Amino acid sequence: MSGKASSSQASIGGLGSGSVSHVFIQYPPLRCNIPGSRGFYYDDGNKLLLSPTSNQVFSWKTAPFSPNAAPNIDSITEGPICSIRFSLDEKLIAVQRSNTSIQFFHRETGETFTHRCKSESESILGFFWTDCPSCDIVVVKTSGLDLYAYDHALKSLALVETKKMTVSWYVYTHESRLVLLASGMQCKTFHGFQLSSVGIIRLPKFEMVMAKPEANSKPVLASEDVYIVTVYGRIYCLQVDRVAMVLHSYRFYRDAIIQQGSLPIYSHKVAVNSRAPISAPLPVLFRGFPRSDSFTSRPGTKESESLEASDSNDNEAIIYGDGWTFLVPDLICDIANKRLWKIHLDLEAISASSSEVPSVLEFLQRRKLEANKAKQLCLAITRTMILERRPINMVAKAMDVLVTSYALSLKTGSYFKGIKTERTPSSVPNVSGPGQGEDVNTGRTDGLGKSVQQESASRVNSVSVGRSSNYSSETEDSSSFEPLKISSNDAQFDSGKVDTGARSSATGNPLNASVSEQQESQLTSPAISPDEMYRFVFAPAEEEMIGEPSYLVSIILEFFRSANLEKVKVNPNLYVLTVQLLARSEQYAELGLFVINKIIEPSKEVALQLLESGRQNFQIRKLGSDMLRQVSLHQDYVLLLVQDGYYLEALRYARKHKVTTIRPSLFLEAAMTSNDSQHLAAVLRFFSDFIPGFHSTSDFSTYYHILNEMNSSSVVA
Amino acid sequence: MLEYSFSKPNSSRSPSLVTEDLRSFISKIYTVYSTNSASFMGLSSIGTASDGMQLCIFDLRRGQHEGQELDKILYFFPADLPFSTQLSVIGLSEGLITFTRIFSPEAACEVIEAERHSHVFYEAEPDIWMVMIVEKSKDSEAIWRIDALREVLKEIHSLFVMFHGSIRALLEREPGGGLTRAHLYPFIMDYLRACQKRSPLDKCCCGNAEVAVSDGLIWIYFLVGKKLQLPSFRDCLMERRSVQMLTVGREAAIEVQTLVRILESSAGNLPCFSLILFQDLLVSTTLSPEDTINLYKYAVLRLTPLALSSGAKSWSYLRKGNSSSHVSIGSTLLSTGSVSEQFYGSHDASPAGDNRYHVTRPLQHDKWFKGKDGFLITDIWGGDIGSLNVTTPTVWLHQTEERMYLCAYQYKSLTIILLIPLSSILNGDQGVSILKQQLLENASLKILKVEEKLSKGWGGENAYHVSGYRYLLVDGNRDISRASPPTKVTTLSKESLLALNRLREEVDAEKSRAKWDNPGREKDLEVCIRAKNNAWAVARITGGKELYMVLEKANETLLYASDAVEKFSNRYCSGTFSLD
Repeated sequence: MSGKASSSQASIGGLGSGSVSHVFIQYPPLRCNIPGSRGFYYDDGNKLLLSPTSNQVFSWKTAPFSPNAAPNIDSITEGPICSIRFSLDEKLIAVQRSNTSIQFFHRETGETFTHRCKSESESILGFFWTDCPSCDIVVVKTSGLDLYAYDHALKSLALVETKKMTVSWYVYTHESRLVLLASGMQCKTFHGFQLSSVGIIRLPKFEMVMAKPEANSKPVLASEDVYIVTVYGRIYCLQVDRVAMVLHSYRFYRDAIIQQGSLPIYSHKVAVNSRAPISAPLPVLFRGFPRSDSFTSRPGTKESESLEASDSNDNEAIIYGDGWTFLVPDLICDIANKRLWKIHLDLEAISASSSEVPSVLEFLQRRKLEANKAKQLCLAITRTMILERRPINMVAKAMDVLVTSYALSLKTGSYFKGIKTERTPSSVPNVSGPGQGEDVNTGRTDGLGKSVQQESASRVNSVSVGRSSNYSSETEDSSSFEPLKISSNDAQFDSGKVDTGARSSATGNPLNASVSEQQESQLTSPAISPDEMYRFVFAPAEEEMIGEPSYLVSIILEFFRSANLEKVKVNPNLYVLTVQLLARSEQYAELGLFVINKIIEPSKEVALQLLESGRQNFQIRKLGSDMLRQVSLHQDYVLLLVQDGYYLEALRYARKHKVTTIRPSLFLEAAMTSNDSQHLAAVLRFFSDFIPGFHSTSDFSTYYHILNEMNSSSVVA
Repeated sequence: MLEYSFSKPNSSRSPSLVTEDLRSFISKIYTVYSTNSASFMGLSSIGTASDGMQLCIFDLRRGQHEGQELDKILYFFPADLPFSTQLSVIGLSEGLITFTRIFSPEAACEVIEAERHSHVFYEAEPDIWMVMIVEKSKDSEAIWRIDALREVLKEIHSLFVMFHGSIRALLEREPGGGLTRAHLYPFIMDYLRACQKRSPLDKCCCGNAEVAVSDGLIWIYFLVGKKLQLPSFRDCLMERRSVQMLTVGREAAIEVQTLVRILESSAGNLPCFSLILFQDLLVSTTLSPEDTINLYKYAVLRLTPLALSSGAKSWSYLRKGNSSSHVSIGSTLLSTGSVSEQFYGSHDASPAGDNRYHVTRPLQHDKWFKGKDGFLITDIWGGDIGSLNVTTPTVWLHQTEERMYLCAYQYKSLTIILLIPLSSILNGDQGVSILKQQLLENASLKILKVEEKLSKGWGGENAYHVSGYRYLLVDGNRDISRASPPTKVTTLSKESLLALNRLREEVDAEKSRAKWDNPGREKDLEVCIRAKNNAWAVARITGGKELYMVLEKANETLLYASDAVEKFSNRYCSGTFSLD
């Protein structure tokens, strides 16, 4: 798995148990105690927690998470419920009634219809809604997949395509858009399809590894032992081999499935270090884990969960219970107590606990959910690192991380998307930062667009199983097979769901109303632009660092190096700052080299600063005036020449570059001060020749008069 | 009969009047000299006893009483001239200086052009003068530019100061003058040796010796063939007191600067300076322009890979292609040849250290070696090279007026010079070696990377050749120059070079006039002349930058030549020299 990820992981893992925990669940939880509830269902496509009663469905939005969220209530007819899912536009509720029928309810009109299996020989294993362009709902049957499109007019499903194969059981996550179909005696032969908004990809058939306990017995792989995991946009599959006590991981590519390695499982349980009275074992065996090689060997530290002080009070004393079910990606449903907890990753704690600053930054730069917070943390960390005068090579690494991340976000468009979002909420990609339980209402596009938002609590926490049999650690963007990225456009590759989210809002989803209520800036990426680097890191650092600016220059230089490697443009103000710093420490030789070798790129700002700093040093001033000319700031250059008394050169230059905006009197005055009547005459002549009607201006008469006086006085002398 | 040139007097008097006064005045002086004391002039003897060049340094504040005249002589070349002759030369110079100071107290005379000699004056330090007298030989090669000769004097002096401190300070330390002479003699001889033309015989150790007797010390130098290589017209496309820089891309420049930072940080909090060269070209400096020029010069002379490998072919990059140019073809053997035989054995084995004064000779040949750790070592400053226990070299910086340790490190084509103040390292050589260790630990990787980057981007010796052009580009603001590679300059015909030499003399005169007319102001200037061979020699000066150019294939018209210059300016000088 990603080497980068594991490095940040390592830094987090290396804290020792005494350190602050990195994950917490926030009190209060969402209480979803409904009388007559028949259990809970989690609709991962829409991120809804569903609790049906005999004739109603209560649904809570879990993203963004709010403990005060009020349920939506929809009426359904009575009957058995095998599973229940809302359509991605949330107009329809589909309830699987039996292994042969699925009933649909239209939420607005209340209309219903029922879809049944045609043949008696097959039964429905389950279904899910999809944003695949050709179909809306996929029904998984023992005989294969049926892809249906919902026909609004006819209020029925139209069969689009059938994929025939025998299926014992299946796993699907909306996040990965991937359905894995198990078949064979041991259920270890898999077919896979990814049904995403760009189309359907059929994965090659593959087999999972199963150890044989004895010669004759053939263990059967259960659906509970297979998890689809999305890590930073890559799709993996984790498989528990109960016999060998090994966890296998597979990485999915468009045309291949590659086994990534296996890890031994030492223990089924990992203790939860909680301040709550009960320190209950947390079954972790099936919970999967993000990627770290170290998780099993270091349980109890990284896996630890603790509650913030405020959490452990009164009736919440019993926090952990057997009824805990972990939902994708960061929710815990406490079935026994009918509560829903949100797991948070404590970014501050994580960043405060590690001195490996570059790794921490790397980790923070991957945050998508609490992007703004991560960004602020990154800025603060970087600033502090500079103020503390950490070794230059470490700061250099940190710069590399930040710049690389920014360059990537530019390439994928997520940086600008974040910015754009702030301006045009209508196309909001629904990536909110439900940091500390603040209620950021992102409207209902969630249905389609939401999986961008996977938060990563579970990444460290390594918990998420639940009925959806889906594990998701933090996700970066949409899940897609790596090669897919090539074929799709940038935005798509970056965050396919964002794209679809925007599309769904464009279709005028009536529920998509409350978008404008977003309060926090909707950053999709914690990437820091060079502009922000200047404003929030270098400029404040410069203000706070008194004396020897040499260290700061070194740091800035490292930033230039990183930026240059990534072809990122540097804010001209940073160049200005560099000039100031070098001039202040009188490192004129270096400053000269910086300018000549274009380490400091020419711009008007820089040129003016060079002129300013050049008051003490002639050579630097010269560089400034050369730069003015170089960047074709003709007017400024001419003015400068006149100011310095080179009015004849200025005139020649002005004529060549057609600078007409400077008053003739400036030149005339300069010529007059030089006390050279010939020059004054020449300048007068110049303007008379080239400016029509100059003879009649007051300038002309004034200086003509002066010229005459000069001549007469010199004759007298 | 006698031409003169001196700095312009104060403007209170009309120049023309002064000129008239002077002309008559000087002719009178000359008459006095020539009639009454021909031998006092000593001019007649110069041509034979030396190879057409005399060089002296004297202090106007010394030897002002009768009988103490010898005191004022601090250095004289050739040293075997009788003191009376030496004194007569110095006496004439002194007389001229004193006289011209009447009219121009701030800057006395710069040059005297006599019928057969040119006297070039340079006031190195207040009242300490260097005078070079060169013979105007009938030989067509003996044509030079006075300013180029003065640059030699400047160079000698500033290099001397870099190693030994100012002459005045030495005189103050030991008012007898022995210490000063003991330093000046070997230093300048080493310098001149570096200047002289190498003959194939040199390696066979059958050269001639120069013997100098001063204060009871005997100095012996071998001036092989006596062919001193003074700047001639063939060098008109180079600028001595300037630095040649490597042009680097932004990425490489950033790498270099990060390396500079690492170098400085590896010295801890000590204030230190660095200089980085690639081949014989400067890549980076944190020194003032003045110090940069001196150290760069020294590095190119003695430290760069080329200087180390070719030891003997000292002037390396700068001197290539000049092999045909030398002042004297007289090549007369020294009359003291027999003496040289006698002292031959003691020459290199017993340097000045054995004598009354401990004198280091930083310009000595073949004294620098590359150590195993990549640092360059020498026993010039003492110690034993065999045991690697050598004293760290020190130099005196003009900018900080402080003595610094000089550590030179070399990796492939990259030479790095690090200067650390003596005052900041308490335990001397031991402290330096600790510092070297730190440097290696911190910077090795970066050095590797930088060398690789620069090597990749380097276009070779002819990288800065522009076909069709022979040029010299001088940035007077930053003391940087760039010129066509010497091998390309040699393809020019003699006429072209003479024309350009002449042109440069004009420009020099114009510049110095402008300097006095209008101090602090730069003058724009453009001169084009056509040589006998129809080549164009062009000079353009603007904003302190100078461009000299010879266009041999510029066809008939001035327009064409001007176009060519324009193109060059736009392409290689970002339009600096482009006119309307």
